[in-house]
Amino acid sequence: MTASVAATIRERVQHIETMPAIPAVFLPLMKLLGNSAQEVKLDEVVRLVSYDNTIAAQCLRVAGSPLFGLAKPPESIKAAVLTLGLRRVETILLTCSLGQAFPAKQWVLDAAVFWRHSLGCAMVCRKFSEKLATADGEKAYMAGLLHDIGFMVNCLVFPKEFATAMERACQEEIPLDEAEQATMGFTHCETGRALADKWKLADDIVEVIAHHHAIAQGQKAQPLVALVHLSDLLCRMRDLGYGYYERHKVDLIADPAWSILLKEHRDLEGVDLVRFTFELDEAVEEIHALVSTVFGASPTRTM
Amino acid sequence: MTIVIQPATPPLAPTKSGETVDPVYRQIRDLVYKVSGIYKAEEKLYLLADGCGRRMKQLGARNPREYWDQLTAQPGRDGELRQLLNEITIGETCLFRSQPQLDALRKVILPEIVAEKTKQITKTLRIWSAGCSTGEESYTLAMNMLEENERLLKGWTVEILATDLNDRSIETAKAGIYGDYALRSTTDYFKRKYFSTVDEKRLEVRPDVKKLITFSRLNLQDDSKMLFMKGMDLVFCCNVLIYFDGASKTKVINHFFSNLNFGGYFFLGTSESLMKLNDQFHLVHFPGTIAYWKPSLKSGKL
Repeated sequence: MTASVAATIRERVQHIETMPAIPAVFLPLMKLLGNSAQEVKLDEVVRLVSYDNTIAAQCLRVAGSPLFGLAKPPESIKAAVLTLGLRRVETILLTCSLGQAFPAKQWVLDAAVFWRHSLGCAMVCRKFSEKLATADGEKAYMAGLLHDIGFMVNCLVFPKEFATAMERACQEEIPLDEAEQATMGFTHCETGRALADKWKLADDIVEVIAHHHAIAQGQKAQPLVALVHLSDLLCRMRDLGYGYYERHKVDLIADPAWSILLKEHRDLEGVDLVRFTFELDEAVEEIHALVSTVFGASPTRTM
Repeated sequence: MTIVIQPATPPLAPTKSGETVDPVYRQIRDLVYKVSGIYKAEEKLYLLADGCGRRMKQLGARNPREYWDQLTAQPGRDGELRQLLNEITIGETCLFRSQPQLDALRKVILPEIVAEKTKQITKTLRIWSAGCSTGEESYTLAMNMLEENERLLKGWTVEILATDLNDRSIETAKAGIYGDYALRSTTDYFKRKYFSTVDEKRLEVRPDVKKLITFSRLNLQDDSKMLFMKGMDLVFCCNVLIYFDGASKTKVINHFFSNLNFGGYFFLGTSESLMKLNDQFHLVHFPGTIAYWKPSLKSGKL
């Protein structure tokens, strides 16, 4: 990408009026939930969520859906956390708050498909981190959740161009970033970066958003970028991709990202990747169900 | 107020009817994986529980915990595990068992192999169904290769070798006659194109499909015979190695590696793992399925 293209993207993203503001509760919520998985100030979570009635209501509706099999729907966010567990509520809250930033009518990409992949990737990132003694699971979760926000920017700022790229990806069964590069000359990595800068996200998250398809460029947060890159690939191979068949062979262990991650986390060597893959499948159903509850009926599965 | 919240533990796995599964089944699941490489995912735990249930009835075990003891205590341990493996893999023999596997084969693997071998004078594709049982997998492969006859495989010869230890299975396989249950995943398109009607309930594979396949008896543990199996592009060995002990498993897998051409692929059953028994194969993912790849010489990944 030339410097002038980068400048154009930045320009358009900075000044366009339809560009969403970061949902008010998102960052504080993420910070609160990310600090320590063991000890969370429940009241503060409840207080934050209550600032936004829409999010609170949607969260309760999802928590009370048949998906979680509660005898009766929770009456408060606190009750939801206590009965469903913090992690599930966290997922529901983040999805609802981020989902709100992007009005459904503006999606070129199916919103449910997008969120399935983002939440799927967040979940895989966290599960992956759990296999590695010194990885930060909550950081990885956030990185996975946000890695593709550039697609949301594309929908809003470059809807026509992006629709063409999407169509080409589906038709030729090629990865979406390749189709973007071929039709638009840039990818969601660049547009995502512009939004991440606007939102003033943490540096390592910005690196993930900007470099998860080309790890070598990532500077400080290389292992995190590598982890998201591998989780992203795995998602796309296990029914959490972009809703079309990717004619793609993925050799994770031969991927440069694997070596980068291995340098930081020696215990990666002991991970049974096949069993890990099978374990992920267990969570796929739940993610499909959760996303259809938030965004309405899920489109046809690809596998 | 600060509340210490334990990380959410997964709820008990629901059965099909919505009841919960005894946690001991997770222990059994882990044991089965360790010994055989078969992994029953959380949402399939009810299948494992069903299989254990049938074994418990046979043995007169009153509860899963009692069955666990029988499954782990000598002297009957190995035999019982084998019985259980039979139970939990029994439903897996049908035609078109894994569509993601067939998609990977036709959309990614075949184009790759054809491109790799296209400079060779004899354009032959060799496939081996090792442990073919009653032939469902072999015929599925044959029909899918015939579908590519006018496209990717135009001008190619396809040879499918199907072997099994059991003579009776081979006879059934040769006959190629299947009922509703075996055909439950076969589409009308394939039924019309590649089968003829035997009677109300059964269809028979047509001769043009049959002639692609050579069925024969082979013991995978017979080293001298295994050495002769050469030049394979694809090897399928579904739910067979699960019955082997670690040392035999390693030996057979090493044979498969040398039986394959460079750039060839090895497939296990859909919920089966090689469990790092061979470090020469590359584990590769395709949409919805995994396989083991013997890197091509060109790839520089050997």
